Amino acid sequence: MYVAARGGEGAIQNAEALYNDLKAPIDADVVRAIERTMPYLIDRVMGEGSLYAPELAALALAQTGGDLYEAVLILRAYRSTQPRLAYAEPVTTKMLFTVRRISAAFKDIPGGQVLGPTLDYSHRIFQLDVLDGKAAATATFTPDTPDAPEPVQPVAPREYPLVADWHRMAGLMAPLEKHADQDPSDVPDVTREPLLFPAPRAERLQSLSRADTGGILALGYANMRGYGAVHPTINELRLGYAEVQVRHPISGDLISLGRVRVSQAEIVTHFANSATGVFGANKEKRQNHKEELALGFAATMGWNEIKVIAAAMLDKAMDLPAPHPAHTEEFVLYHTDPVEASGFCIHYKLPHYVTFASGMDAMRGANQIAGDEGKSVSEQPEAELVAEAQE
Amino acid sequence: MNKETHNGHTSIAERLSVLSQSSAHQVKALAESLLDDLGVIEVLENRTGLVMLPYTDSVQGITFNLGEVLIAEASVRLKDHDGVEGYGSCLGRDHVQALALALCDAALRAGIRADTITAFADARALELIAADQELLRQVETTRVNMETF
Repeated sequence: MYVAARGGEGAIQNAEALYNDLKAPIDADVVRAIERTMPYLIDRVMGEGSLYAPELAALALAQTGGDLYEAVLILRAYRSTQPRLAYAEPVTTKMLFTVRRISAAFKDIPGGQVLGPTLDYSHRIFQLDVLDGKAAATATFTPDTPDAPEPVQPVAPREYPLVADWHRMAGLMAPLEKHADQDPSDVPDVTREPLLFPAPRAERLQSLSRADTGGILALGYANMRGYGAVHPTINELRLGYAEVQVRHPISGDLISLGRVRVSQAEIVTHFANSATGVFGANKEKRQNHKEELALGFAATMGWNEIKVIAAAMLDKAMDLPAPHPAHTEEFVLYHTDPVEASGFCIHYKLPHYVTFASGMDAMRGANQIAGDEGKSVSEQPEAELVAEAQE
Repeated sequence: MNKETHNGHTSIAERLSVLSQSSAHQVKALAESLLDDLGVIEVLENRTGLVMLPYTDSVQGITFNLGEVLIAEASVRLKDHDGVEGYGSCLGRDHVQALALALCDAALRAGIRADTITAFADARALELIAADQELLRQVETTRVNMETF
């Protein structure tokens, strides 16, 4: 139960004005600068906001002073005001215009490995020259390619085969199950239906796609450190662009509206059917099946490697029987939605005077019933309690 | 980009795909230049909305919803040209860009200034291909051989 706050309108308006006063004013140029210079932050907000709209994500960040949860909330709120006009053609990994593709499990994968845009092997040191106004650091691409004579420069392929298909061809993974063609509007959708458990895989992957990066990382890391049964290796990690293709409403032809940034990861573990795998402790079943590789999968809008790696690991972990919370679908999916989690957390800032006073009454009553001879804690004046605490 | 072709020429869908990915400023200018030839235009729809993007899980082959994409779309009818209709949509929330695309689509379907629009689309297509090639060249410079890395 809550109480209404009366007479607070002026205070609320002034509080918002003060919030804005304590940061620089924003305009269209600031928003455009954020969009251009912080694409990974924009990607994170769009992925968690579950809405691909770089300009609005930048505006959300500018408006909120960079408060990620507030920015995601604004994007989700805006999303809820918009009608769903169409379903795009399903994107497959093979269709991605890929700019980064690596495997930590296999060094010689078909198509090879390209690092693409990454700081993975870079020194993490400040570019202090920027602060001194001496350089517009990293503004241009200047590859160090001494072995590539001008003007012949090789071009990377746009698309790559799946590493998982390579495993299947080698008999290391079960063949891909055939699924009947599905109308995209029939795909289970957590924005339209409540999440129930066990969740259909489509809802699990959608939930991971829009999950909070920090929440997914925390649970994934707990699992990796030892509170879990999955020790992951990255089978394939990709960053790329997915084409958004829709049907022209008049002709029925496919038209492309452009590309959006997406990332996906597969993690791999050995012994899919072992004691930690699908057959658990069932020795008889295990003996009748050969061991295979087991893969976890995750993808999200925007380029966010940490999220998809941790999410792919949790995808695998949630398939396994284990006592740890990060193996439990309900625990993982319910606690990693950024809007629900942050919203529940900050709701505690709202006045809870009546519910708290009720608890105080119950505590006083309990103390009286107990018949304490001395003065009970709840009966002591507040000043006495403070004095005791200071001693 | 859509690969459909008819009789060796790019299809309307392919040209529209190129226009959707072209600079908003350029497409608006193109549509502006068509207005005198289009006659009376009825705007049937011009709004923003969402397109759900399904994605296919590469491990189990399941299709799921990756998230939604904000788009602007428009539908128009050319009242002086047998009521031919056109449709346009683009990423983002630019209503005017979507309207410009719908006008170009309607013009192509009505056979009005088709050569102008096609020439424009062909030029933009070459720019898009060149930009892709440049990006792929940069990507290729990051190729690694892990044995010697």
